[in-house]
Amino acid sequence: MPDTRRVKERLFLALVSLLALAAIAPLFHILATLAYKGMGAIIGAGLGFFTQAPAPPGSGESGGIGPALLGTLWLGLLSGILGVPLAVLTGVFIVEYRGTPLAGLARLSASSLVEVPTILIGMLVFLLLVKPMGHYSILAGAVAVSLVMLPYTVSYVERALSQLPHTYREAGYAMGMTRAQVAYRVAMAIAGRGVAAGVLVGVSKALSETAPLLFTLGSARGAYPTSLGSLLAPGDAVPLLIFQLAQTPYENWQELAWGAGLVLTLLVLLLFTLVKLLVREVRV
Amino acid sequence: MEPVEVVVRGLNVWINGRQILYNVELRALPGRITAVMGPSGSGKSTLLRTLNRLLDLIPGARAEGVVRIGPLDALKADPYHVRRLTGMVFQEPNPFPHMTIYDNVAIGPRLHRLAQSREELDDIVEWALRAAHLWDEVKHRLDEYPHQLSGGQRQRLSLARALALRPRVLLLDEPTANIDPASTEKIEQTISQYARENQATIILVTHSPVQARRLSHQLVLLQEGRIARRGPTAELLPNSETITAPELGRRLFYGLQDIT
Repeated sequence: MPDTRRVKERLFLALVSLLALAAIAPLFHILATLAYKGMGAIIGAGLGFFTQAPAPPGSGESGGIGPALLGTLWLGLLSGILGVPLAVLTGVFIVEYRGTPLAGLARLSASSLVEVPTILIGMLVFLLLVKPMGHYSILAGAVAVSLVMLPYTVSYVERALSQLPHTYREAGYAMGMTRAQVAYRVAMAIAGRGVAAGVLVGVSKALSETAPLLFTLGSARGAYPTSLGSLLAPGDAVPLLIFQLAQTPYENWQELAWGAGLVLTLLVLLLFTLVKLLVREVRV
Repeated sequence: MEPVEVVVRGLNVWINGRQILYNVELRALPGRITAVMGPSGSGKSTLLRTLNRLLDLIPGARAEGVVRIGPLDALKADPYHVRRLTGMVFQEPNPFPHMTIYDNVAIGPRLHRLAQSREELDDIVEWALRAAHLWDEVKHRLDEYPHQLSGGQRQRLSLARALALRPRVLLLDEPTANIDPASTEKIEQTISQYARENQATIILVTHSPVQARRLSHQLVLLQEGRIARRGPTAELLPNSETITAPELGRRLFYGLQDIT
């Protein structure tokens, strides 16, 4: 009897290992392909890959993803300005006013927003901003990705703040602090790393989303958005560029898309590494 | 600031519809220490939190009756004003972990603008740390953080943080429950001195009859939310060197059965 049990156990272990391998294999395949093809594209194009606009289709030259990269950085910055304060304050509100109907509603809305397909958020911003303005714009794209980031950042901030032992809040109130002082000087200050991690997760979401940009950003592939005015004009972003160039029949554009994919992956990886470093506990 | 007395009359407290305190009556005088004892769940902590309106933070909590802190009607007044007059030290040492030792003591005076200059602030911090018998241990490491201190030192830091605001009323919620004997002794000295030298009104929740006997002038026994006994400590806890702490506790609460 013990022998059959041991055999069964081995079989089970083998099966589970195989399935786990099957689950992570695609990830490694994607990363390996991305690294191989992406590196090839970037080395082929040289430093111009980061600064130039894409070369004409089928021209044999590759050009670069300069305008899209700049557009993505704008989206990150603008979502930081538009989305982050809103998300952080919402998180603070949910925790500090827990038990009130409005806080419950805010929490429910934030967690429901995660479930809304991001393409619908793009459509919403299209109706609210793009149609009245008459054209796509970086601003509209930024509003759309800010809405996408919102629930992620809210939930990180909320978690960070509610893990804080209640006794610190009590100590703050007991010395005559106001709600705002407790939130800002005690809760946010102690949970600062968790809050910062939420901000980074949100921004990396804003950088890597494609769907909300389809209806909002336009694809001004050759224009560099270098002035504030250009934020009101159509722009480009790295994920959108990948989506569109990868589907074209032109080899030089497909290469650009691979290179852009690698750049985007590294950018998001960098942000997530920072998050991992931040989320380590504060010593209490 | 004037010494104030704390008067509680007909106090009833509910949390989520469940009554925690029943018709509590209490009078605590300036310069005196009132000890509150009772089994776990008898409402001691709730009583303290009602006095400084921390009860407001508990969802579903409601208080009825009269709490007077000097001339102030504490249940009706602005809670921030009530808390400004009262200091509190909790069972768990809870100095703010993200602030240095110095800042932990200085934050109260800073918030309430008690110091006009850096020198004045330094003086307040030194005074409070000396009052809490912590100064000699930390005077060369004021920019270190609380996690670098021992549990007993952290509790004395919490005490110094409360004292820095020179509260007229000091509420202590089992401040030495998890603290080493050496720190406990220093904390007890601090409490006695602060009551005496500043004519502060002190209400101390404790599980230790020995501590109550050492420190308090008046003793209040709570049982299931009701005041079971109240009187001078010397009468309720006769000073007998031969009685052990558990025996003292047993005797105290055994006597209650005739009353309840």
